[in-house]
Amino acid sequence: MVLPAGIRVRHATVVRKTMALKETSAAGDIFQGTLDMLILRTLVMGRAHGHTIAQVIEHTSEKALEIEQGSLYPALHRLEDRGLLASEWGTSKNNRKAKFYQITAKGHRHLTRQTNRWRHMTRAIGLILGQSAD
Amino acid sequence: MSLRRFVQRKKKDADLAEEIESHLAHEQEANIARGLSAEQARRQARLKFGNPESVRDRVWRDRSFPWIEDGWRDLRFALRSLANVPGFTAIAVLVIAVGIGANTAVFSVINTVLLKPLTYPEPQSLVQLMNTAPQGTFPGANVPKFNIWNQQSSIFQYVAGYDQGGAGLNLTGGNDPEQVQGIHVTVDYFRLFGAPILAGRTFSSAEDSPHGGNVVVLSYALWKRRFGGNPKIVGTNIHLDGQPYLVVGVIGRDFVTEPTGDLWLPFQFDLTSQDMAHYFVVAARLRPGITPQKANAQLKLAADQFRRTYPGGLGPQGGFGVTSLQDVMVGDTRTSLLVLLGAVTFVLLIACANVANLLLIRATARKRELATRSALGAGRGHIIRQLLTESLVISLTGGFLGLILGMVGVRLLLAVSSGSIPRVGEDGSAVTLDLNVLFFTFGVSVLTGILFGLLPAISASRNNLAAALNESNNRSGVGFRSGKIRSLLVISEMALALVLVVGAALLIRTFINLQAVDPGFDTHTIVTMAMSISADRFQNTAGVAQVIRDGTQRVNTVPGVTTTAAACCLPLQGGFGLPFDIVGRPSGDNPSTGGGGYFPVSWAYFEAFKVPILHGRNFTEHDDGGAPGVVIINEAMAKQYWPNGDPLSDRLVIGANMGPVFVEPPRQIIGVVGNMRDGGLSRDPAPTMYIPVAQMPDRVTALNSRIAPLWWIVRTRVEPHTVIRTVSTALREASGGLPVAHIRTMDEIVIVTTSRERFNMLLLTIFGSSALLMAAIGIYGLMAYSVQQRTQELGIRMALGAQASNIRNMVIRQGMVLAIIGVVVGIGGALWLTRFLASFLFGVKALDPTAFLATPVLLTAVAFLAVWIPARRATRVSPMTALRFE
Repeated sequence: MVLPAGIRVRHATVVRKTMALKETSAAGDIFQGTLDMLILRTLVMGRAHGHTIAQVIEHTSEKALEIEQGSLYPALHRLEDRGLLASEWGTSKNNRKAKFYQITAKGHRHLTRQTNRWRHMTRAIGLILGQSAD
Repeated sequence: MSLRRFVQRKKKDADLAEEIESHLAHEQEANIARGLSAEQARRQARLKFGNPESVRDRVWRDRSFPWIEDGWRDLRFALRSLANVPGFTAIAVLVIAVGIGANTAVFSVINTVLLKPLTYPEPQSLVQLMNTAPQGTFPGANVPKFNIWNQQSSIFQYVAGYDQGGAGLNLTGGNDPEQVQGIHVTVDYFRLFGAPILAGRTFSSAEDSPHGGNVVVLSYALWKRRFGGNPKIVGTNIHLDGQPYLVVGVIGRDFVTEPTGDLWLPFQFDLTSQDMAHYFVVAARLRPGITPQKANAQLKLAADQFRRTYPGGLGPQGGFGVTSLQDVMVGDTRTSLLVLLGAVTFVLLIACANVANLLLIRATARKRELATRSALGAGRGHIIRQLLTESLVISLTGGFLGLILGMVGVRLLLAVSSGSIPRVGEDGSAVTLDLNVLFFTFGVSVLTGILFGLLPAISASRNNLAAALNESNNRSGVGFRSGKIRSLLVISEMALALVLVVGAALLIRTFINLQAVDPGFDTHTIVTMAMSISADRFQNTAGVAQVIRDGTQRVNTVPGVTTTAAACCLPLQGGFGLPFDIVGRPSGDNPSTGGGGYFPVSWAYFEAFKVPILHGRNFTEHDDGGAPGVVIINEAMAKQYWPNGDPLSDRLVIGANMGPVFVEPPRQIIGVVGNMRDGGLSRDPAPTMYIPVAQMPDRVTALNSRIAPLWWIVRTRVEPHTVIRTVSTALREASGGLPVAHIRTMDEIVIVTTSRERFNMLLLTIFGSSALLMAAIGIYGLMAYSVQQRTQELGIRMALGAQASNIRNMVIRQGMVLAIIGVVVGIGGALWLTRFLASFLFGVKALDPTAFLATPVLLTAVAFLAVWIPARRATRVSPMTALRFE
């Protein structure tokens, strides 16, 4: 994971500089692109609110990606601002008010693109490291 | 990052907070479901979530423009920090307001006069036809010239002749006869200027030919004022000088002429006329793609053709040309305004230097604050940006005040003295606040803020952090570098102020010289008024002579009146000119022996003006049409043409070669009178001929009656304003109901003729004194500050036995060194710059020794005063207090 992460960091840093965000560590940057993809992937299955998304990511990654749940929200809002997600207030199964997120058509396209890129990259890295790509 | 999202941040943030609450509640419930206690469940949920505040903060920042945030923060900080020092802020804002105000004032005039295009459609293709001669170009046309110009259809789309509404007409046929300005125009005039037609139509070609009938086009203003905006006026008759005139049209409100006209009449030229006198001007619209250069080349050929057709109609070196109409209207005002702009720029520079100095001083006092901020992580760029924001707050506030100050000031100034600047309207009403002025003031404000803020900001941010923080207090001496900058600023203030004051001194001397000029006649207790003699009965000499006789007789009976005279023109206002031959003297290569002023006057003219008869005799009432032709010349003419001989033995042929209109038998020179300044106070008297009105050729009278009113000149033994009403009534009765207009005393006319000089002098004096004041404040501020900073040092010196006088002299010496360097640099600058004033000066050289001696002395004295106050304070330092100052 180290090398692709490094590549990604550079890319992310450029984006962030233009947005003039000052803090955030390299680790946060590594995470951002991946986290975006994970969120979109989660929402392919249907609309969900923040807490559900956090739990799904936690469980499906077999707790390998344990995140601070709070950092999910900047990502959600950023994706919404970019038009990849849509949101509306609703009521959760627990009968609580919650904000539900839904993937948009643009989000779908973005996810497909990113997933393909990701596959290409991991495959390439796998080849370089002499391992089976799959 | 869309602006909408940026604006909605507050709402979105509240939304997010609720969302986070919901998340935490869900997690807490899940934890409880796993068997945790309520307390534990909440704790675990919070732990797992992380800090909600920082999440909100991140989302908030994702949605913002950092520079707006930062700018807003800098602005609030600047306002707070300036509010802490209200005295400093007030002075800085005021100084900038004065500087920018002066600039706004001058720019608003420049904007109106030079920048705003003429109000006609496509004004850039409008030109005035000019006569070119080695001594310069001048407008002026006669029918033969108009004809040949009108034929140049390859370069001109339209050609039109018009007069300046000189003579005036009497609008009769109501209760109250009124004198109005009627502009005579040729048929294409309205098309040439694109005049909007509000009602009816303009003249037809048939109406603009001899015997075309009495027709008139009204201006919007006259139509509204006199006829109540009656739309049915078209097709009805109005009465001018008792004759009915058919109103064919009304022109729209936006059509502005200079000078203003009340109505338009067709010229109805006899196009076969060979009359060579200039009595109107001609404008033309260039065809698309024709440049003035191309037009001039074509006109050169036309001039050759003209010279062949009319030998003597054009001098061997004379020619034709075009000048942009706007340039003609602006005339020599351009230079004058640009010089003023230069002067106000100096004022603004001094203001900038002054505020920069204040800021430097303040930056020193804030050394520790800035050092602390940079220790806490503010970068140098941050600090510079912060300080620049403060400067911009000062300059923009000053700019706003300056805008008000400038606009109010310029209107006041123009109301007091319009300086005979063209295009500014009645009392400067055309000088208005428009986008140009707003942009100018805003731009100047921003530039000013950067100019005076950047240097102090950079120098302040250069602080040595450790040194500043370690300093025990903020009073221990001026850093060498910023001390040097401050001295340089004070030197340049003094230098700039000196240049301005020298300029002001030169203009003041000019004005005093003008006041001291002997106009050649007694200007006091004379009232003058114009009577329009456009009616038919004044188209021959006898009619005019009759009205003069009747009027003179009648007015002389008015109590308080001593002498009454009439003439074509008034002194100082310019008049007619004609060439002449001296009988029996060969004229050499030139068509005529010479040329001079041509003043038809009544017999009492010289008596009324108290002009001395130097030789020969004065006119009498009997020098009329039945008597032999006579002429009186002025001293300048006698000196130039009879340096040794006796002019009284010679006869003159006046108007030779000027066409059949002017043909008359030779006139005997019967007298020589003292010179009167006819062309203005600053012009040397030119050779001038005076002839009795009663002896003018009829056709010249007809011409004069068309282009100039008859001026009445009434000398009184009482205050002249007190007789105006009775004299006007007497003249109206004597003339069969003709009104008089343009009533002014001769003293008022003197003031008007010097108004340009007065305007320039007033402005430069205002600029010069504000510059001087600011420079004095600058040098005072620097020395006062330096004394305050050195309290400790001075205390030690005194404790060690220095005398009060030693201390005082030391401070004075340091201050005066700066002042004198500034003065010397300023003299250098002034030596070079005053050349631009040369054309505004009268009776004084651009390098006038008096101005160049007096001004440095004045500046040095003012500087001494400004330095002396802090120097005296320095001697009052008590050694004990000073040493305990810590």
